[in-house]
Order: sequence, then structure tokens, then C-alpha cells
Amino acid sequence: MVRLPYLTALTTLFSYGLLFAFGQMRDFFRKILDLWKSKNLQGYAPICLGLEDFYTRRLYLRIQDCFNRPIASAPDAWIDVVERYSKDSNKTLHRTSKINKCLNLGSYNYLGFAAADEYCTPRVIESLKQYSPSTCSARVDGGTTKLHAELEEVVARFVRKPAAILFGMGYATNSAIIPALIGKGGLIISDSLNHNSIVNGARGSGATVRVFQHNSAAHLEEVLREQIAEGQPRTHRPWKKIIVIIEGIYSMEGELCKLPEIIAVCKKYKAYTYLDEAHSIGAIGKSGRGVCELLGVDTADMDIMMGTFTKSFGSCGGYIAASKEIIQHLKNTCPAHFYATSMSPPAAQQVISAIKVVLGEDGSNRGAQKLAQIRDNSNFFRSELHKMGFEVLGDKDSPVMPIMLYNPAKIPAFSRECLRRNLAVVTVAFPATPLLLARARICISASHTREDMIKALEVISKVGDLVGIKYFPVEPQKHLTDKIQKKLE
Amino acid sequence: MAKLYAQTVPPPDLNKNTEWFMYPGVWTTYIFIIFFTWLTVLSVFGCTPGMAWTIVNLTHFAVTYYFFHWKKGTPFAEDQGIYNRLTWWEQIDNGKQLTDNRKFLTVLPVVLYLIASHTTDYQHPMLFFNTLAVIVLVIAKFPNMHKVRIFGINSGH
Repeated sequence: MVRLPYLTALTTLFSYGLLFAFGQMRDFFRKILDLWKSKNLQGYAPICLGLEDFYTRRLYLRIQDCFNRPIASAPDAWIDVVERYSKDSNKTLHRTSKINKCLNLGSYNYLGFAAADEYCTPRVIESLKQYSPSTCSARVDGGTTKLHAELEEVVARFVRKPAAILFGMGYATNSAIIPALIGKGGLIISDSLNHNSIVNGARGSGATVRVFQHNSAAHLEEVLREQIAEGQPRTHRPWKKIIVIIEGIYSMEGELCKLPEIIAVCKKYKAYTYLDEAHSIGAIGKSGRGVCELLGVDTADMDIMMGTFTKSFGSCGGYIAASKEIIQHLKNTCPAHFYATSMSPPAAQQVISAIKVVLGEDGSNRGAQKLAQIRDNSNFFRSELHKMGFEVLGDKDSPVMPIMLYNPAKIPAFSRECLRRNLAVVTVAFPATPLLLARARICISASHTREDMIKALEVISKVGDLVGIKYFPVEPQKHLTDKIQKKLE
Repeated sequence: MAKLYAQTVPPPDLNKNTEWFMYPGVWTTYIFIIFFTWLTVLSVFGCTPGMAWTIVNLTHFAVTYYFFHWKKGTPFAEDQGIYNRLTWWEQIDNGKQLTDNRKFLTVLPVVLYLIASHTTDYQHPMLFFNTLAVIVLVIAKFPNMHKVRIFGINSGH
């Protein structure tokens, strides 16, 4: 559901039109100037046609300093951002040695494991000394250590599935597993806002891909009925299998998926379900077990549950949890298991320790504290932003909250003004989001204290006034917000 | 003026080159851009309103013919070139013909033609050029012309 002021829609389209016109004009003059310069291609074809990278050259490069910012510390609640300068209006950026200590609202650090932790870090250093940073081998050759076997068991137990398999990279998990599960003659129905890794995996599998409207179980049912009735394209034979792919928390919207309704539809039409819990595992649910626990869905109803260790566990890598037969099949066929280097042993130890803390098996209640903290932090931050008049997406309890910006010029304005006031935010624009819906995405962490969040809210409010993104002004509540802020201070 | 909000559920369109056209406010922005171009032409050239409409009509013809019916492919490399043989007109609405967007874009050159020819009092040579522009644009937008390349013009790259 997209809701925006009509005037904003008009001005955003006009701004993009203007940027497009200027880009085309510059390309035109560049083409004329290049006619005189000698072409040193020596008969080789050019790497990209002029039109393909138009967006990168003419729009993205102009605001390049808002993206790819190098950091110089662990991505904790406060982060050191390296300052950069440019002499040719952002075409090339040079690092300086100056460092800016900023409040970190951009890292996926949901439970606060990104910085040194009193339980995890000693064990990680232990395993680093014992197993060395890399296994230097694929899982199948010499890359399966005791830690990998233990982690697979721990993950399966945590997610409440019979078995699990690990991979060294979260993105590669999706793009390598989906082709191993389904091929030509199969049908993949994926949510329209699914992550790029799923899109790449679906494309690489060779199956037919259909898209259903975001989070709409009714439209999913329509698509399923139509596709099952029609069968494969051209031959109209029945589909070999149908997999429906959805995500737990959508990273650009911050909203939860309507899991019970979608599972009901899939069971009715006998389609397999694949749930990508990259952002929701460890962050939501009473004991951190993800969106299934939060929405009360039995994990036996999901066929394949995928997740990553990057977001809540402070490590890197991904996993798939499913029945023993599926995991055995994947271990025998998935190329990421055969040829890709296995997960780094210290990273695996970090996940084992983090899951133990979350479950309370380390003997303390820090896990429960962290989960309660992130829930309280998210709800507080989101409600305060709402009161200030920003348009914030996302459901209650979700630690991801995008603030809508819309106009392309507000993206660099918001990003640079926040950095000037020592607040590091991540802004997202086209093509990661639809054209009109550029946003600044805030990720709240359990390691943010109340003072941190109040300071962040003040900065965001000031920058929001400067940039003009308070689209839903809620006038009467303003003095109430001041009262609450004074009470908290 | 009360704050007007637009609400919509955008249909799933995977082609990033064309999905922006399905959002609210696109038609109004298009009409506003044409109107402001007319005002700009009037103020820069200082000609009669009819001449200005003719200039706007012919510029609109050149620009929309080039961008809608000549340029093929998309400005993004990530779709791996699956639209490299399709012009923008053939890509919008996932290739479905006779949708609301297409009907709007077909009617617009005709309306521009009527305005331009009325304000110039149907005089030559403006009438000839305006008629040529509207015939070419409307024929290019017929459903039967989907993926048709007359005499092989613009078919290869």
C-alpha cells in the first residue's frame, strides 16, 4: 500500500524527468566530444552499450558520497565513519585519515552482537587459535570441522526443524539453493518485493517465475489457480513442482509477511513454501525464533526455512533448515556445498555462542534482555517518529523502519545533513526500491540506549524539518511529545 | 487547499524501465510538462500562441517518437538484456495492449494536434507538419504494430 501526498508524486516525477533530461543532454554532448577523440578499442566491442549504465553514470555517481562509506570500527551502536572528499564532483572519492564518530542507525546489528561480547568473543578467539581463520577447503573435501557439525545441530534445534545445512555467504545461499531445488518444468511464485538474491536464484534455476502482489494471499491464490489450470507454457503439461518464496521481514518495508494466510493458501493447492528469514531470525518472536514464533505458525508447515547469520548473530553466512531428506539431497547436489569454501570457523563459533546467549544456555538471562530491549527500542522509536509526522513504514515489533523521502534530491540532502550531525543512516533509492519511493532505512539495535535514541530522534527531527519530509503533520500531539521527551531526559 | 493524498497498490511489474509509469500523478505530470513547455516557448520566442502550440506539438513528436518508439532496451544492466529488442512502448504494462496507460498516451497526441491546428486556424504549412506528426504517432501506437519493424528500420543493433 503506497500512500503519498499527490503534490509530492508530481514533484518527484518532475525531478526524475529533469535529471533524466540533463543526463541525456550530457550524454549527447559526450558523444559529440568523443567523435573527435580517437577510439582505442582496437577492434574489440565496447564493454557496455551507452544506454545500459545510464542510471549509474548520470544519477548514481552524482550522489555517490552517500553510499559505500568506509568505516573504521566494529559496527556497534556508535561507529567510526571515514571522511572522504572529491575534487571532480563525486566521480572519484578519496579517503582522508579523519574519522567521524557517529551514531549507527544503518547496520544490521539487531541483538548487539556486532561488537565485542563478553561470552562470544573469548570463545571466538579460542576457536581462531585452534582452527585458524579459514578452512581452506570446500565442505566436501576438508572443510567440515567439529564447529560446522555442531552449528548445524544448534541451528536446526533453534529453528525447530529436523536438520540444517550451512553456507559461507547469505546471498549465495539463496542463489545457489534455489537452482538445486527446482529446475525447468517447475514453477516459482515469489513475492513482488523479494530480495535480489531470491530473484537471481529463481532466474538461474531455469524454472518459470511468476510474481504475486506483495503480501496478498488473495492474489497468490489467484496466481496459483491460474498457473495450475494452465500448466507449463506451450505444452500445458502439469508443473513438476511449485515453490512459493516469501520473506519473514521485508528489508525495504520493515513489514512482516502475512504468514498464516499464505501458508493456508499453499497447503490448499499443495505448493511448497520457502521462507527467507534473513532479517527476522533472532530479532523477533518471544525467544528470538523468528516470524513463525511471532505469528504462531508451526514450523512443520514450512517446507524450507532459510536464514542468515549476518543480521542478528554478528557473523557471516547463511543456513537452510528443512527435513532430513531435503538436507541430505542438498548436501548431495548443491554446488555451494561442493565447490564453495566452507564457513570460517571463528564465524561459526560466533553463531554458536550467540545462539547460546539468545536461548539462555550460557547461564545468564542476557538473551531475554536483548530480545526485550530490541522490541522496546523498535516500538519506542517508531511511535516517536510517527508522532513527529514522518511517514514510517513497517509493522509493530519490527526493528527495520524506513522513513519515506520520495524526492530524489532529498536522498543526498538527508544523508549528508545527518552525517554532518554525526548520525550515520542508510538511504535507498531506485532501483532497489520503486522509482517514486526513495527512503532512509533505520535499523534499530538492542545496544542502542534510550539517550542514543532520543539524540537520534532530535537530529532526525531537525534534519526532517530542513529537508521537508514530515508529510503527515500531527499538530495537536506536538506538545505531548515535548512533555514525554522532557520526562525521559 | 486540503492535503490531497493518493493511495494505490502498485501492480507487480518487474521491468524497472516501465514500472514508474504505473504510479499516481504520472498523467498529470505529463500534461503539466507539456503546458509549461508551451509557456516557455511563448516567452522565449515571442510568437503567436498557435505557432507555440505547433512548436510544442512537433517537439513532443520528436521527443516521444525517439524515446517511446525508437530507443530499445533499458538503462539498467541487471535485467540482462531481455528487453533489448523492445522499445519502451512495447515494454509498458508488460506488453499488454489497450490498457489505460496506452489509451491515455494514444489520445494525447490527438488532443495536441487538435489544439495546435485550431490555434493556427488550419493554415499551411503548420497543418501539414502537425498532421504528419499525429499520423505517425498514432499509427506507431496501434496494437497491430506491436513488435513490427517496417522495412527492417531499427530492427538490429
